[in-house]
Amino acid sequence: MDKERDVEALGGSAPSPLVATAAWLGFVYLLLPSLIIIPMSFGDTREIVFPPATYTLDLYREYFTNPTWTGSTIQSIRIAVIATLAGLALGTSAAYGIVRGSFRGKVLLGALLLSPFFVPAVVKALGFYIYFAALGIQGTTLSVVLGHTLFVTPYVMIVMMAALRNVDAQIEAAGMIMGASRIYVFRKVTLPMLRNALIAAGLFAFLMSFDEMIIAFFLSGFGTATLPVKMYESIVHEVSPVLSAISALLTFLALVICLAVTALSGRSGRQPSH
Amino acid sequence: MYIAHHQVPAGDTAQPKVWLENVSKQYGSVTALQPSDLKVRSGEFLTILGPSGSGKSTVLNLIAGMTNPTAGRVWIDGRDCTNVPPSKRGLGMVFQNYALMPHMSVFENVAFPLRVRRVTEAEIKRRVGEALELVRLPSVAGRKPAELSGGQQQRISIARCLVYNPAIILMDEPLGALDKKLREEMQLELKRLHVELKVTALYVTHDQEEALTMSDRIVLFNGGRIEQAGTPHELYFRPRTLFSAKFLGDSNVLSGKLQGRAQDGLVETPVGLLRSSNGNEHVGDGASVHLMVRPENVLLLPPDNKHEYANGLEAMVVDTISFGGVIKTFARLSDGSTMTVQELTRARRQAFDRGARVRLAWQAEDMLLLPAA
Repeated sequence: MDKERDVEALGGSAPSPLVATAAWLGFVYLLLPSLIIIPMSFGDTREIVFPPATYTLDLYREYFTNPTWTGSTIQSIRIAVIATLAGLALGTSAAYGIVRGSFRGKVLLGALLLSPFFVPAVVKALGFYIYFAALGIQGTTLSVVLGHTLFVTPYVMIVMMAALRNVDAQIEAAGMIMGASRIYVFRKVTLPMLRNALIAAGLFAFLMSFDEMIIAFFLSGFGTATLPVKMYESIVHEVSPVLSAISALLTFLALVICLAVTALSGRSGRQPSH
Repeated sequence: MYIAHHQVPAGDTAQPKVWLENVSKQYGSVTALQPSDLKVRSGEFLTILGPSGSGKSTVLNLIAGMTNPTAGRVWIDGRDCTNVPPSKRGLGMVFQNYALMPHMSVFENVAFPLRVRRVTEAEIKRRVGEALELVRLPSVAGRKPAELSGGQQQRISIARCLVYNPAIILMDEPLGALDKKLREEMQLELKRLHVELKVTALYVTHDQEEALTMSDRIVLFNGGRIEQAGTPHELYFRPRTLFSAKFLGDSNVLSGKLQGRAQDGLVETPVGLLRSSNGNEHVGDGASVHLMVRPENVLLLPPDNKHEYANGLEAMVVDTISFGGVIKTFARLSDGSTMTVQELTRARRQAFDRGARVRLAWQAEDMLLLPAA
């Protein structure tokens, strides 16, 4: 959707000063807890205080050199990348079937596939814990990957279903009438048209898996803990000031990904140029 | 209005390109298409004409394979394609909204059906070039569809069909999204391509003027069945039903009762006795009938004129509207109904003021007899 149409949809006029003020206040309220982390992350390694007595890069140095943090960060990235790729494959296929298919029970199946979205994370985590323990893989990286794949798939599905509804089905029909199989059309026509949505959904899924704590806490073992799990353990045991540096970095990552997704969805109505 | 006059290229004996053999389509309890038999002859330009909901899109979807018939068989090039998927039917299709791939260049769009067929790169280059040449857009190959105008995009989608010689090109209201002037240009363009390349074309439209201009044959649909099929000339000058008469061209319709034998064509109407020299096999002796005369066949004469026409009625001028090349006069008959008279504009044409008494006259051969309801 382009900017002009957005403005039209809102009635075509700029918001009043009152509305703008309210919006900014809401924004500050949401952002303040994250922002307070940033000055603190430049404090020293002794304790968490606000405002910091001295400004240093010690906490960042500590984070990037301590194998506990770097190891769990690499573990988190690894799990997030695999879960994202698997979630994209599953979520996109499911979205294609639900949006383009015409079969009995389509609505029910769609609801069923989206249902993990509505189940509380603790419930999912407990379910995985019992199930994977029975399979004997609880505590392994694989179990966290599987758990996170199921966790991100509904989100991917929601993004991809919306994107697919914006792809003119007649363009796909045209491809098939010209002799192409459904799979050929999906690969050469549908997927390229979904490119921006795929990137957005992928970034989203990555961030969700990377940040996810509850499922990872239940499923990871001693050697397989992810960054958020290590952070949680650190809070429980010692409240290390390094946490503020990590939090600042995570906030920055989330910000970058949100901006990227916004930029991509702002262009989704137009054709990707390459 | 230009009405196409063409020899139909092949007779009924030749194998039809497409044959819908007693095909019907139900959606639940809704009948989209009643059992219908329809043949598209090789090399002809056939138009499926009808209002929305008349079943014309269903016919197109059945041929394309987008839906399956409830009963009957679909034959393409002598092959039973009833259960063949769209991709295996060897068809081409032009859509109203062009359906070009937005992420591909014009060249890649036109090359798409060739790549599907694994044609060599050199051959693709040659044939895409030729196809773009045919639609007179050889210089836009590197552009994206969004950079072209609507008319240009539709030419590209036509090139995309021509490039792989499909058995038949289906066109679904292809000019519906274009403005009037461009539409008229494209009508002639399509006609030229059809005559030059002798492709078989099935054209779906609700626009009677488009149908009359371009078609070798028109099949008029109404309420999920074929109302009448024939050349544009036949449909325009010999409509068999009131619906056909009203759908193609303008018409004046009167109602009455046949006097004596049907073939004498004498009809008693509220405004007087009228005469038609055209019989209608669907009308029996003494039946209630409709009478139809085209506005351009009615003459506007002074009230005292002693004319030689079989039909003459007293009337009063209600209004006169000039359309540039033609002038339409609306005249009220003795029973209060209105008739339209259409004349060519001439500087010395005798003008009648509003309220003037006139005589409307036309020949018996221009008066058509149509069954009532």
